[in-house]
Amino acid sequence: MMQERYPHIFSKGKIGSLITKNRVKYAATETNFPYGDGYVSDREVAYMEAQARGGAGIVTTQGTYPDPKGEGKGFKGMMAIYDDRFIPGLARIANVIRKNGALSCIQILHCGREGGVELDYCLMPTVVPQRLSYFKKPREITKEEIKQAIRDHVQAARRAVEAGFDMIELSGIVGYLISTFISSYTNKRTDEYGGSIRERCRLMVEVIQGVKAQVGDKTPVGIRLCGAEFLDDRGGNTFEESIESFKIAEKAGADYLSVTIGWHESSIPVITRDVPMGHWLYVAGEVKKAVNVPVMMAFRQFLPHIPEKAISDGIIDFWEACRPMIADPELPNKIASGREEEIIPCIACNLCFSRLYYHQPITCSVRPSLGHEGEPDWGYYGFKKVGQPKKIVVVGGGPSGLQFASIAAKRGHKVKIFEKNNVMGGEILLASKVDSGEEELLRPIRYLEGECVRLGVIIKKGITASPEIFMEENPDVIVMAAGAKPRILPGISQEMIWTYRDIIGKGKMPPRKSVIIGGCGIGLAVAVYLLRHERYELTIIEEGSRLGKDVNPFYLWRFIQILKKNKATIFTGSTIVDLKDGVLMVKAPKGEQEIDFEGIIFTQRDEVIADFNTLKGYPRGFYFIGDAKKPRRLNNAIHDGYRLGMVV
Amino acid sequence: MIPAIDRDRCTGCGNCHEVCPPGAILIKDEIAQIEEEFCEECGFCAPTCPAGAITINFPTLYNKNT
Repeated sequence: MMQERYPHIFSKGKIGSLITKNRVKYAATETNFPYGDGYVSDREVAYMEAQARGGAGIVTTQGTYPDPKGEGKGFKGMMAIYDDRFIPGLARIANVIRKNGALSCIQILHCGREGGVELDYCLMPTVVPQRLSYFKKPREITKEEIKQAIRDHVQAARRAVEAGFDMIELSGIVGYLISTFISSYTNKRTDEYGGSIRERCRLMVEVIQGVKAQVGDKTPVGIRLCGAEFLDDRGGNTFEESIESFKIAEKAGADYLSVTIGWHESSIPVITRDVPMGHWLYVAGEVKKAVNVPVMMAFRQFLPHIPEKAISDGIIDFWEACRPMIADPELPNKIASGREEEIIPCIACNLCFSRLYYHQPITCSVRPSLGHEGEPDWGYYGFKKVGQPKKIVVVGGGPSGLQFASIAAKRGHKVKIFEKNNVMGGEILLASKVDSGEEELLRPIRYLEGECVRLGVIIKKGITASPEIFMEENPDVIVMAAGAKPRILPGISQEMIWTYRDIIGKGKMPPRKSVIIGGCGIGLAVAVYLLRHERYELTIIEEGSRLGKDVNPFYLWRFIQILKKNKATIFTGSTIVDLKDGVLMVKAPKGEQEIDFEGIIFTQRDEVIADFNTLKGYPRGFYFIGDAKKPRRLNNAIHDGYRLGMVV
Repeated sequence: MIPAIDRDRCTGCGNCHEVCPPGAILIKDEIAQIEEEFCEECGFCAPTCPAGAITINFPTLYNKNT
């Protein structure tokens, strides 16, 4: 048993008066699965059930907003706890967690400056200009409203206990109400709620004390606080002040402390792939030294040996998992039973995160069944075997082909994959070379390839599928997952042309003065790849009005930073008028412009559907998935494969 | 929750077409159309519409289908 390999993760823990079965806590994450009116939906209950069955010792709900006006509501699908009428719905979640052997924890969250999602204002300690577009116009919170917010939290805690929750978590992170009071960036009040760090923590202290007095000793109350704000450029808290806030919370009666890093405005990357795993543990270590209650942390601890070592070194007491458990709720069970290679790996793409801010339910790049745990068709708890297994040939062993093959095989079909390269992965092999940390993108490929092998899919590497092979195999269904082809514009001699595949895949470096055609994900990736290696004079031509429309904002801002630092010339909203050797005419919004270049790099792609017209009539079934269907991103490839696998 | 386009309000400006990550929005006869097969339901399009023609309807407990 692998429990022996991770003895600390799977040892019993203690929070307040409660004993946990292990040191894993599924941390609070908004989902936008509940209804827009604050009620709990079946979808949310099914999701929480999946988390509870996954084996974590503690399962935390998403934040619930405690005020009837909705000033604390930061997401359209956020759960509410401001009235007794929400108790039965919340009780369903508490029951489903308890029934599956975990401790249930409910988070009470007043979103503060990120709140008021359906109002035209949000509350702040003092009005500080907002920079991020999704924030509402701020209004200063009055003293009476502060008192009311504390009463709201206390009443919410009462309802949480009535709903049957074992623990209560408060949240003071990233710009939510409590954190805006603690931070000197947003709190410039002159009354007793502002001033020194002690006074800025007054709201937090009064909330903790009020909630503790309401629920008594039987229900532990924890709080999430920010360990390092990284808002030095805007007058945020110093590191010492942040650590002090944890001490104050402990003194006020908090039974555990969860350490988080950064605000949404922080000027350094915090949770993206370029941050090495376990990087932030030093902050938790400082908190741990300062307090005596259990300390926990999430933040880029995707592999179990990292929290295992941190717990044994006395840096944290509990391993919080958000994104890794969104990607695979079974994470604790799989680690405990030595099936680590079966874990669906989170790639920190932050698709889940960015969707919340557009008021859509979260989805996952690597686990399409997210949000469909309660629907048998999606096979979260296993698929029903098909009555008549089909013989299926998949062309291409990239993410879509592998994902399709694994799902089809799970349903009982006989699947064979033909991959022309000697390694699986398709264009992800290129993406994994772009920058440091990107090699993590290979984890889902390794997982999917492993799944295929475990399920008995036959994988033929180094063989290009051809009509002869189809004749020989004579399959019932052919699935084309062979990817897209680079779009090469005519009019230029061969020696000036490069494609993203030449550069990232084969390492052929273009001349210094090159033009990149296409400013979406691949164009930016090529630019970043080149600029990381050498000095370049790059020009990027993009038809759309902005760069990287298909790149997640969490990554995009850093890419653009690199481009600006290296003085790349960017033409957006620009179309190519004329293209000859060495000269390019573009029609930009500011008028026509001539650009001379030594090399031209093509990064746009075309689907291959048209190339296979002869096979379209394949009598028994012929499908396109992934980039072959339409060039898009990794999550589309995986979702395409999964959805076809469900129905084929 | 696939966004809904109000055909009367849509001016065909193309903002949504430009921001759509999977390229699922086309402008046909000066009106935006969503190809449902490619829509990822990301919601990026809705806030870019100057005419307020794109809505994402959040379901509520008592009206599950809206």
